[in-house]
Amino acid sequence: QDAASLIADSVSINGDSVLVAEGNVEVLYQGRRLTAERIVYDKAGDSLTIDGPIVLREGEGSFILADQAALSADLENGVLTSARLVLNQQLQLAASELSRVGGRYTSLGRTVASSCQVCAGNPTPLWEIRARRVVHDQLERQIYFDSATLRFAGVPVFYVPRLRLPDPTLKRTSGLLRPSIRTTSGLGAGIKLPYFLTLGDSRDLTLTPYVTAKGGRSLDLRYREAFSFGSIEVNGARSRDELRPDDSRGYIFAQGVFILPRDFDLRFQFEEVSDSAYYYDYGMEEKDRLDSRIEITRTRRNEFIGARIINFRTLREDEDNDTLPSVIGDMVFNRRFSGGPLGGQGGLSFETHSHHRSSSADIDSALDSDEIADGRDMSRVSLGIDWRRNWVLPGGLVGATLGEARADLYRIDDDATFGGSTTRLHAAGAVELRWPWVRGSASGAQHVIEPVAQLVWSREHDDDLPNEDSALVEFDEGNLFSLNRFPGSDAVEEGRRLNLGVSWTRYDPDGWSLGATVGRVIRQDDLDQFSNASGLDGSSSDWLAAVQVSLASGLTATNRVLIDDSFEITKAEWRLDLARENYGLSSSYVRVLADASESRQDNISELRMDGRYGLTDFWTAKATGRYDFEADRLQRAGLGMEFRNECLKLDLSLSRRFASSTSVSPDTDFGLSVDLLGFGSGAEAGPSRVCRR
Amino acid sequence: CGFQPAYAPGGPAEKLQGAIRVNDPGDKNGFDLVERLEERIGRPDAPRYALSYSIATNPVGIGVTTSNSINRYNLVGSIDWAVTETASGARVTGGTARSFTSYSATGSTVALISAEQDAAYRLMRILADQIVAQLIATSGRWLR
Amino acid sequence: ANVAFDGLRQDTSLPVQVDADGLTVNQADGTAVFSGNVTVAQGTMRLSAAEVLVEYAEGGGIERLHASGGVTLASNEDAAEAREAVYTIDSGEVVMTGDVLLSQGTSVLSGQKLVINLTSGTGSMQGRVQTVFQPGSAP
Repeated sequence: QDAASLIADSVSINGDSVLVAEGNVEVLYQGRRLTAERIVYDKAGDSLTIDGPIVLREGEGSFILADQAALSADLENGVLTSARLVLNQQLQLAASELSRVGGRYTSLGRTVASSCQVCAGNPTPLWEIRARRVVHDQLERQIYFDSATLRFAGVPVFYVPRLRLPDPTLKRTSGLLRPSIRTTSGLGAGIKLPYFLTLGDSRDLTLTPYVTAKGGRSLDLRYREAFSFGSIEVNGARSRDELRPDDSRGYIFAQGVFILPRDFDLRFQFEEVSDSAYYYDYGMEEKDRLDSRIEITRTRRNEFIGARIINFRTLREDEDNDTLPSVIGDMVFNRRFSGGPLGGQGGLSFETHSHHRSSSADIDSALDSDEIADGRDMSRVSLGIDWRRNWVLPGGLVGATLGEARADLYRIDDDATFGGSTTRLHAAGAVELRWPWVRGSASGAQHVIEPVAQLVWSREHDDDLPNEDSALVEFDEGNLFSLNRFPGSDAVEEGRRLNLGVSWTRYDPDGWSLGATVGRVIRQDDLDQFSNASGLDGSSSDWLAAVQVSLASGLTATNRVLIDDSFEITKAEWRLDLARENYGLSSSYVRVLADASESRQDNISELRMDGRYGLTDFWTAKATGRYDFEADRLQRAGLGMEFRNECLKLDLSLSRRFASSTSVSPDTDFGLSVDLLGFGSGAEAGPSRVCRR
Repeated sequence: CGFQPAYAPGGPAEKLQGAIRVNDPGDKNGFDLVERLEERIGRPDAPRYALSYSIATNPVGIGVTTSNSINRYNLVGSIDWAVTETASGARVTGGTARSFTSYSATGSTVALISAEQDAAYRLMRILADQIVAQLIATSGRWLR
Repeated sequence: ANVAFDGLRQDTSLPVQVDADGLTVNQADGTAVFSGNVTVAQGTMRLSAAEVLVEYAEGGGIERLHASGGVTLASNEDAAEAREAVYTIDSGEVVMTGDVLLSQGTSVLSGQKLVINLTSGTGSMQGRVQTVFQPGSAP
């Protein structure tokens, strides 16, 4: 039992066991520290009678202020008068009388609890909880209120006979989470009351009942479990509402990651939803194709192994699950190695792929909007090898010789036109010349200009393989100099062509940089391999131009455009992300032409903006908008206001979506959530108000 | 006008080929990034520098039709990278490469998967080329 | 504030006996200086010091003792140490100054100045006083 130490300006002893200390008195005992003006220590009674102003500190961040006190010598038990308990330098509980019990419980009489700044000129805090009695359990870190009234700006708002709230330092405990209000035109005004349940150290369950005025009853569930070798999370809901009164709706989304022996890891994902409008009606991230999969991968420096099985279920109106490849199985093995006697570096890849359509009709019907035989099943085995070697030539030219060859064995069933087995052998070779020039000026700006030319030969075929996995072709700086711009394996780029490009980047010492790339593909003859929307059609492709600006202060804008010879824009996309301390903007624009081979009936032309702006230290305004130039109307608009100060976080959001189809109609969504800061370690506090003198 | 060929004798990037060892990859994106970086600056032989990186990618649905189906995605990517001199452990250069690629989601599910994978593959090659451009531009200051 | 010295409470009218290695007397101002292991005894109280200057009253009795060079005052289980001490016999007041250390049973006080009144058995300590005590050890 270690000793307590006492320091004071002056100490006197009356009788054998009473010691009186006066002037800046400090008592230190087992991590507790008490400071006061006067302390009388009665050795016989083992008690301290203390006159204030008293500060009793226990652990970092929490302490008790009081005017008078009578405590046991070990500072564990006793009563303090006109006291204030401060937790985590955030939550204050003030009471006329506060008693300490067993060094664990602090019980307060008539109490006012708040974490709001109170100024002399304006003593009513933004919110406060008044209670007849409050007990703080220091071990369990819980606060129990008896007959508590919540007041906002002094106005009583909510009464509850008994209330338990976690103290600000508690990270994880079972209990009610922050309620929120969600009002939508479809479901009506509703409230969500999430309840969090800890099931041991590595599992938890969150149940969120969501009740709405228009008869909406929904129970949302989230279950999480962590293992030593992985974790799983399951989200789901069961709902009944007026939008589809006669059937019970809901969704399940489970995912997990596991570490397997020998560096393999396994991922799985399972998605199921009762109807296509559910995600839309309940304000969730919109998905129109359900993707459930199991995937095992291993990545090493020179080897990648991946195997997966995917099951798709479409929610799109113009698609049918029977005529769509619903079960897909892939396996891929990539190996990279040095060229050995040849020098340079090489790669070997071995792939298998197969997909299955549940329909077995071997011709296309009007069930779906594509021209693929309804029941076509396909299996493919591919073996590929590639090689590349760089040569630094005189004058700083960097030459490269590269080549690839692949063999694909196809087996197609349930397809009148393409059924049967087909083997395709393909090879391509190229010579590439790069000539990077740099300029480092004294002021520190660095420039690099790099013209590149690549002459490519590749075999031409007249096999009749259907192109399904390479229908969606993109053209950007990533494949300006690649030997095969088709994304999948069903099609390979053929013929002789010249890939030309030049890129220039300027790095400024102040941290901003500007980069541009221009390129074009010139073919010996037009083999009509690409569709118009890809920008790669014709004997010479569209001009590719990409520009990027990025400033040290958090702005990045990337713009990419494909322009044909008559200066018509085939494809244009840009993204802008600006992130500053009290404002931010992210915006994107896309313009893509309609294209039958990409199953896109009409052009896409859509601008999207999301911004936030700090109006004051406490109020932040948010706005979001999506404008569809094709349909010439707003697709989504939203406004939001967030208030955050040292004791309250308030989120207001109003958004409207204008999508309309047989299953979804325009919907307005209003959300409100209030967060009393200082209970549980939820959102951390914002700036606190400064008191005017 | 002050420009000089980077790889010419006496040029700043003369010793760049084979001088940098890119850290081991942890996933397919990393694997593709290392492949492209080694294509551009050669596989390391007696490397004097190490390039460390952390990759972040995020698919964003952008083209939403009137009937609320998503038919285009942007794959937004950024790589924080740094080059340290192996002997001294000092950081000699680094930065953040940012870009995006796009893919359509209008074809069959098989077309979607290969478009999605190819978008990630192209994004890694674009970011790798951005890193190499900065290596060449700044090599005069740090490449020994 | 005052300090209880039950142990040291005692009758200051008892005879005072002073022993020392050496003694020099100064007839002019009626003082004597005892030096070398000086001990002063009065009843159960013992005061020892390196040097004690004694002032005599006109009638020949000791009026005041000035102890210096490290003083220890002890009686039963109470004891006090300091650099210097002045004991005025008839008022029974002892003033100890300079790194004072007072120990009473288990608790110890340290400070700069200690004033003890032997007749009332009380005393008080000043100057950033430090003490250690044993909570929960009530008898």
